[in-house]
Amino acid sequence: MKVHKLFQRMRFGIFALFGLIVLSTSLLCIRTVDTELSAEYAANSQSIAKTIADASVDILLNRNLATLQSLIDQFLEVQGIRYIYITDETGEFLAHTFVPGIPEVILESDPFRTEPVERSLPGMGDFLEVSSPILAGVAGTVHLGMDLDLVALKIQRAIGQQVYLISILLVVGVLASIWLVNLVARPLAALLAYAVETARRPPEERALVIANEKLLERDDEVGQLARLILYMSRTRPPSDPQALPDPGAARSAA
Amino acid sequence: MHSSCAAALLAPWARLANAALAAGEGVSSGAGSAAAPGRQAPNRGAAGDGIVLGTSAAFTGPSRGLGNELYRGAMAYFRQINDSGGINGRRITLKLYDDGYQPDPCVQNTLKLMLEDQVFLLFGYVGTPTVTRVLPMLKKFQEEQIYMFFPFTGAQPQREPPYGDFAFNLRASYRQETAGLVENFLATGRRRIAVFYQADAYGRSGWAGVRAALENHGETIAGEATYQRGSRFTGTMRAQVEILQKAAPDAVICVGAYAACAAFARDAIDLGLRVPIANLSFVGSENLVNLLSEGRDDPETYTRWLVNSQVVPSYEDESVPAVREYRELMARHNPQIPEQFLDDPYSPLPQSFVSLEGFVNAKLMCEIFRRFDGAPVRAGLEEAVFSIRDFDLGIGEQVSFGPERRQGLQRVYYTVVEDGRFVPLTDWNALPA
Repeated sequence: MKVHKLFQRMRFGIFALFGLIVLSTSLLCIRTVDTELSAEYAANSQSIAKTIADASVDILLNRNLATLQSLIDQFLEVQGIRYIYITDETGEFLAHTFVPGIPEVILESDPFRTEPVERSLPGMGDFLEVSSPILAGVAGTVHLGMDLDLVALKIQRAIGQQVYLISILLVVGVLASIWLVNLVARPLAALLAYAVETARRPPEERALVIANEKLLERDDEVGQLARLILYMSRTRPPSDPQALPDPGAARSAA
Repeated sequence: MHSSCAAALLAPWARLANAALAAGEGVSSGAGSAAAPGRQAPNRGAAGDGIVLGTSAAFTGPSRGLGNELYRGAMAYFRQINDSGGINGRRITLKLYDDGYQPDPCVQNTLKLMLEDQVFLLFGYVGTPTVTRVLPMLKKFQEEQIYMFFPFTGAQPQREPPYGDFAFNLRASYRQETAGLVENFLATGRRRIAVFYQADAYGRSGWAGVRAALENHGETIAGEATYQRGSRFTGTMRAQVEILQKAAPDAVICVGAYAACAAFARDAIDLGLRVPIANLSFVGSENLVNLLSEGRDDPETYTRWLVNSQVVPSYEDESVPAVREYRELMARHNPQIPEQFLDDPYSPLPQSFVSLEGFVNAKLMCEIFRRFDGAPVRAGLEEAVFSIRDFDLGIGEQVSFGPERRQGLQRVYYTVVEDGRFVPLTDWNALPA
C-alpha cells in the first residue's frame, strides 16, 4: 500500500510537471505565433498597399478612374483584403470597394494618415487598415483594410495545430512515465508482499515462505533485497552484527 | 465513378467548347457560313475565305439580356450580308464565348479567341469591367494588330491612352451621357444629384462622368451608394436607398445594369425617394421596364420616374432609315441565342435599343470591310477605319474616324417611358417631382 501511495504521488508530480511544460510552451507559442503572424500580415498588407500606390501613379495623373477602380478590384481578390479606397491629395475619395457605401467611420477618418490603425466597421467586422502614399502623398493615398477576424482565425488555426501537437506529446509522455513507474512499482510491491509475509511468520516458520522465483532471479536492487530477505529468513539472527551484509556496499551497488 | 468525376471536372471546358461550336453553327445554319470552327482558320493578320469575329459577352447571368440583344442585332445585319453573298465573297462569322459579365472569364475567352481561334478581330464585347481587363492584352499582343471594335461600353479606358489605340468605339461615351443628364437636371433646377452605381470600373466611369459634369457647374455629388455587380432584381436595395435619402437628392443617376437598377428604382419609390431616376444606355432599357411593370396593377408605378439616356435613336422612330432597315431585318431573320447559352428560358425582345446598337455596329463593321479591295488584313484595318469620313449610317448622324477620333458617334438621346414604351424626352421641366 505504501508503495502505491509513493508512486501515486510520483505520477501526480509527473503529470503536474508535464502540464506545466505544456502550459508554458503553449503560452509562449501563442505569443510567438500571434506576434509573428500579425507582423507578417501587417507587412504583407503594407506591401500590397505600396504596390497599388506605385501602380496608381500614371492612372491617377491621367485621371482614369475606371482603370483605377479596375486595379483595386483585382487586389480585392487577395485573401484577407476586405476593402480598398484611394483618396486624392485633397482627401476626396476617388475609388473604393465599399457596398452599399463608404462607412461613416472611414468618411470621418484622416485621409492622409499612413500609420496602421485597427478599425471596427459596423456590419463589416474588425480590420487592420494600412496606408501608402501615392507619389510621396502629393497624388493621394491608398488605404487597405485587412480582415482581422480572418487573421485571428488563421492565427488560432496555427496555434491550435501547435497546441494539438504539444498535447499529444503530453499524453504520450504521461502514459510513458506511468508505464515506467509501473515497471518499478510492480517488483517493489511483490518484494513488499514477500517481506510482509515473512515478517508475519514466527522466526522458525519464515523459511517456509515461498519466495517469487522471478523476484530472486532479478539482478537489480530488488533481487538483492529479495535474496537478503530469503537469507535472513533461513538463518538465525547472528550474534555478531558484523556478519550482516554491509549496507554501504548495497547503497553503492544501487 | 471516375468517369463521372472526370465529366464533372471537364464540364466547364466542354460547355465552353460546345458554346463556341454552337456559335459557329448558329451562324452557318442561318447564313451558310464558310467559316465554321475547325474548317477554316484565317491566317494570322488576314481574313481567309471568311471573316471570323471573336466575341466574349454576357450570355448568361443577370445581365444576359445585354449580350443576347447586342448579338441578335448584329446577327440580323450579318445574316443579311451573308445571304447576299458576303463582302467581296467573304461571309462573316461570329465566334462566341460567354463571360457572364465577369472579368476573369472574359480575359480567358479573349486569350482563346486570339491565340487558339485566331479570330480576325474582337467585336461586340459587353461591359466596362470586362473590357478594361482585356485592353492590356491587346497592348501585349500589339504586334498581332488585333483590334477591338465597338464594345458595348462608354467608359474612357478604351478611348484614351494608353489603350485607346487598340479599340474603335462607335457609341457616345458615358462621359457624354452623364454630362447631358447633369446639364439638363441642373437647367431645370435639380441641383442635388446623387449617384447609384455598380461597384466596379463601369460604375466608377459613370460616377467620374457625373462628378466632372457637376464640377463644371461648381457642384458636387450630393450622395452616393453602390451595389455588387451581378445583383438580381429579387434582391433588396433598401440600404442604398436609405443612404441616398439622407442626401435628399433632386435626382438620382444610376450607373448599372437593368436587374440592379430596377431593384433600386422599385425600392426607392416604395421608400418614398420619389425623384427622377436616370439610367445610362448600358442599362438595357426594355429589360428594366419589363422588370418594373410586369404583373403590376399600375405598370407606371415605377416607370414614370425613369429617364434613360440612349446612344442610338428610338427603334420606334421609323422616320430614321436605319431604324426601318433594322426593324425589317430583325423581323426577317429573328436571330436566336445559341442553345448552349439558354440554361434558363430567354424571351428575345422584338426590338430594343441594345439590339439596334448591335445592328449599327455590324453595319459599320461591314462598311469597314468593304474598304478593302481584297481580303481584309489587320495591318490595313486602321487605315480602313480612318477612311470613314462623314459616313451616313442612316441614323441621322454622320460617322467619322481619324487618328485623334476613335469614336464614331457623339450624340446622346434622352427618353422617358409612356405606355410601356420609350419615347423621346422633350420637356425636362415636365419630369415628375
